[in-house]
Amino acid sequence: MNHLVSLLIFSPLVGILLLACIPGNRERWLKWVALLCTLLPLGLVFALGMVFRLGESGNQFAETMSWLSYAMQGATGTVIYAIRYEVGINGLSLVLLMLTTLLMVLAVIASWSIKHHVKSYFLFFFLLELGMIGVFAAQNLFLFFIFFELTLVPMFFLIGRYGYRDREGAAYHFLLYNGLGSLVLLIVFVTLFMVTGTMNYAELLAVLPSLSSSFKMGCLLALLLAFGIKLPMVPLHSWMVKVHVEAPAPVVMLHSGVLLKIGGYGLIMFGMLFFPEEFKELAGVLAVWGVINVLYGAFLALVQKDLKRVLAYSSVSHMGIVLIGLAACNEAGIKGAILQLLSHGLISALLFFLVGILYERNATSQLKDYSGLAVGMPVTAGLLLAGGLASLGLPGMSGFVSEFLAFLGLFEKMPIVAAVGTLGLIVTAAYVLRAILAITFGEQRSMERAVEINARERVPAFILLALIMLIGVFPNVVTAPLATLLDTILPLVRGS
Amino acid sequence: MVHYAFMIPLFPLLSFLLHLLFRKRVRSIAPILGCICTLVPLVLSVGVLIARFQGTTYTKEIEWLSLGKTAITMGVVITPLNAMMLVIVSLVSFLVHVYSKEYMKDSERLGTYYSYLGLFTFAMLGLVMSVNVVQLYIFWELVGVGSFLLIGFHYTSLAARAAAKKAFIMTRIGDVGLLIGIILLYWKTGSFSFAAIFQSVASGGISQEMITVTALLIFVGAIGKSGQLPLHTWLPDAMEGPTPVSALIHAATMVAAGVYLVAIMYPLFLASSVAMTTVAVIGGITAIFAASIGLVQDDLKRVLAYSTVSQLGYMMLALGSGGYDAGVFHLMTHAFFKALLFLAAGSVIHAVHTQNIREMGGLWNKLKFTGPLFVVGALSLSGFPLFAGFFSKDAIFAAVYHDGRYVLFFIALLTAFLTSLYMFRLVFLVFFGPAAEKIYRENSIILLAPMVVLGILAVVAGYIGSSWFGAPLQRFLHDGTTSLPLEAHGPVWLPYVAILISLAGIGVAYVRYGRRKDFHHENTSSSPVTMLLKNKYYVDEVYGVIFVKGAAFIGTIFVFVERYIIEGMVGTLASTVQWLAKCGSAFQNGQVQRYGAVAITGLALMLLLFIVLTGGYLQ
Amino acid sequence: MNNVPLSGYLLLALVLFCIGLFGALTKRNAVIVLISIELMLNAVNINLVAFAKYGENPGLTGQIFALFTMTVAAAEAAVGLAILMALYRKRKSVHVDEMNHLKQ
Repeated sequence: MNHLVSLLIFSPLVGILLLACIPGNRERWLKWVALLCTLLPLGLVFALGMVFRLGESGNQFAETMSWLSYAMQGATGTVIYAIRYEVGINGLSLVLLMLTTLLMVLAVIASWSIKHHVKSYFLFFFLLELGMIGVFAAQNLFLFFIFFELTLVPMFFLIGRYGYRDREGAAYHFLLYNGLGSLVLLIVFVTLFMVTGTMNYAELLAVLPSLSSSFKMGCLLALLLAFGIKLPMVPLHSWMVKVHVEAPAPVVMLHSGVLLKIGGYGLIMFGMLFFPEEFKELAGVLAVWGVINVLYGAFLALVQKDLKRVLAYSSVSHMGIVLIGLAACNEAGIKGAILQLLSHGLISALLFFLVGILYERNATSQLKDYSGLAVGMPVTAGLLLAGGLASLGLPGMSGFVSEFLAFLGLFEKMPIVAAVGTLGLIVTAAYVLRAILAITFGEQRSMERAVEINARERVPAFILLALIMLIGVFPNVVTAPLATLLDTILPLVRGS
Repeated sequence: MVHYAFMIPLFPLLSFLLHLLFRKRVRSIAPILGCICTLVPLVLSVGVLIARFQGTTYTKEIEWLSLGKTAITMGVVITPLNAMMLVIVSLVSFLVHVYSKEYMKDSERLGTYYSYLGLFTFAMLGLVMSVNVVQLYIFWELVGVGSFLLIGFHYTSLAARAAAKKAFIMTRIGDVGLLIGIILLYWKTGSFSFAAIFQSVASGGISQEMITVTALLIFVGAIGKSGQLPLHTWLPDAMEGPTPVSALIHAATMVAAGVYLVAIMYPLFLASSVAMTTVAVIGGITAIFAASIGLVQDDLKRVLAYSTVSQLGYMMLALGSGGYDAGVFHLMTHAFFKALLFLAAGSVIHAVHTQNIREMGGLWNKLKFTGPLFVVGALSLSGFPLFAGFFSKDAIFAAVYHDGRYVLFFIALLTAFLTSLYMFRLVFLVFFGPAAEKIYRENSIILLAPMVVLGILAVVAGYIGSSWFGAPLQRFLHDGTTSLPLEAHGPVWLPYVAILISLAGIGVAYVRYGRRKDFHHENTSSSPVTMLLKNKYYVDEVYGVIFVKGAAFIGTIFVFVERYIIEGMVGTLASTVQWLAKCGSAFQNGQVQRYGAVAITGLALMLLLFIVLTGGYLQ
Repeated sequence: MNNVPLSGYLLLALVLFCIGLFGALTKRNAVIVLISIELMLNAVNINLVAFAKYGENPGLTGQIFALFTMTVAAAEAAVGLAILMALYRKRKSVHVDEMNHLKQ
């Protein structure tokens, strides 16, 4: 029981090893083995969730092992710098880990129709899962960084090899932007390590308040840049749009569903937890930036001709809500931001999955090529409509709870900014309905293209929709594990 | 009985789920299932009403979303207004379910239709039982979705698609106002519950400006949902939906939600005279604006739609003038006679297969039941004495007069004249005059029975609100609260003036339309006034340019920003790196002599540096 | 004969070296390049002998060194000409700027 987290982190290796043993031309074997092996981390996360103690703050299931240490000649004699292997879970990471492992299973189901280089595709998948789980489970900056970087490599290949027409450009774009972000992150982490002598989260929390304020502000700004690339914040978002358009649908499900959340996770854990005073000072800027994200993404989504681009800019817009919630620095806002991370992960996974199905059938995702889908593919059209309504924040779905909480939070501190942000709700309704209705309503144009969504494909779609509605109707299911984390952050951020 | 109140919305929800999930299997029994699922709530609602009438109050809440120390709750509360609305909504919904069995029987997607009806009814019932503003907002949006789905039911029609989109987006604009109002109230009072908010208002816990601001924002929500100026254009377009839907949603229930919102937040509005004036003025202007447009429309359903907008304006006018009882009274009577009118219109359309009144005429003899029923509704709407509308309109006039705003009073009277004018224009053009040669059959009893029920109510419902019988409605509404204004009694001459006006309207309509001789009587006058009215004052066109094109314009600007600035940034970076690389590769051209030159130059430079920096070997 | 100072010999060597360098770096004909290289080597020889006689520590070292460089120059000239012959047979040209197979 006390190595559960390490087991979880390295469980994708089981998948890698098993897959490596299967010959590359046995595609059915590969797919089924991959599916079974993704169920393993999911099961482990569930086990963790069962045993997780609500109401206990801080790190649970912590594991520590000594790893690296070296001595350096400092001004006052020899200083030992030690980096240990430290992992553990708190409420936020538990929620995000559940999202990650679940989306992995669904993404594997969605990848059933991959035809070329199947083996390496799934190998990259498992490597990606390893990185994603590690990011959320790490308890020191070094491990976080390693796993963070680890996610870049398989993503690069997944986009560049299995994507659509402009995939290589998208992959390079992805790598360069994220590599830049990693560079900034590395600089910040190393600086922190040299100044404080530790990379462990808990120890940093204890040491940081005594550092100079300008140094901390500098660190926070650099972190904002790094995670702003990941989130993404306008104007650092163009790589994400390319990835969403060019990568294959299951990859986008994972990318939009999990990788973007790493940006939010980083902002909360490193931005708010480590540098609360400076974060509060920047809150106004962040709120405005969030509103810019919301409106910029929404207006751009309104004029796109390609459904995938609509959804990509929609992601930009929704992540603005996360910024808005965090900038509010109160319970409602932060809760709303975390819920938005979760909710957007599920909703965009659902929508991109459906787009992927449409693209597979018809080799196009241009709005003008579709009309009257509801006639020939009523279930798909219904799912698209449900996903669209979830995306625009309809009550009964998770998007409403998160957006409502985020705006509720921001109105306390900056009502004018928040009021401008709520205009985004109107534009969101406009672009969602424009895109979805253009596809589903209207006269049906061609009969032969309409092959309804089959049983295998229904599984991910309905599971996602069910979860979205579950969270929308019973939000307390998710907010319960978050309570202790919020209790830790809030006093820091409310502060003086 | 009140303890089962929470079950009332669950039956339509069940209908929604069953019809959605088992569309194919359920299709043959869909109407029966749907009717049962609305009959039970009706019975329960009547029970609840009776219980409330006897004085039992009931509130129940459960925690929904924890928020620090407090929590947002969801639950059920039974006030007089709620109980009355429950009965109205479930009754009209039940009648529409019955009517649809016959009207929509040829539709392939009957199961889907009943499921959407169920969703809508569920949301509306949940809305009127809401225990706090958040729950109200949640069901408010769900009602909007139900309406959207039903308007767009005939989804192969591009007009229906556009109408559904427009309805949703316009009501969304209103919803945003409501949301901001709710949130602002929360931060000022610390709670979402009605009781806490009103307490805060009464005890002076909120500043006057904030009361006005939040009241106005909440009214914006009501403007959107009830189709008041300037967010009214979606309602006439919503006629693309099936006619029973128009009867349910756009006559009796959803559009009444805006009026209900103002009524339930009345203590907040009462505390701000600016808000009251705004409500009254917008109500009054909308009333006359819509009535004037309804005068020249040729589509039967559109006239009724504009009539709904106009009557909702009346209700807002009443509420804004302190006439709480009058507004709510009219809400009730309007629900009945407008639903009746829409169902009767549906019956006509079902028989005649057109919606253009220019193609109708002389149907009185052919549709022997529909005709009289339609006229009953028209008389009630026009405020003909002894029909329900007469009493409720009278109450409105009294309230406006009592409030002292004589301009609005005059507008109200003028609108009453226009109302009976356009209604009887319809009556005379559709039912009287020369007829077409075709044979039309009256519709079946399933279609007619609901109309008969509504017809009876359209006459009788007025009596429970009139002072002839001691005003039981008003006493009921005031039961348990002390903060509502008492009903005003107008001057003695008021009822007679009202009767005169309504008769005048009927008379003018008869003169203009009742005595025509030829079929396809065309009103080809294209005077500027007529054109202005026919084109709805060009409001749609103006909105199209400002908002639709405006938003697209902003989007296009952002596309340019994306393409040239942001990708330009990245592109410049990339091309700088490439340029540097090219410079570097100029060295590698395979020419040995160039390599040698570079080497020698480098050596010379190093030697130079060496001598300059350190003085060389010779010291 | 007047005493020519050290700097005179050095100057002469410098001029010769520069002429040789110029020829090595700019001439097209490979034979000329080889001749220029010889010129540079001889300039170095002059330098060495001048320092051997008039420099800080006069002695025989410089002159011995000069003998070494002459040998090396001879060997290098032989090898260079051999390469040139081989290249000429292959490419029928002695123009240096046509030999660019090492380019990126």
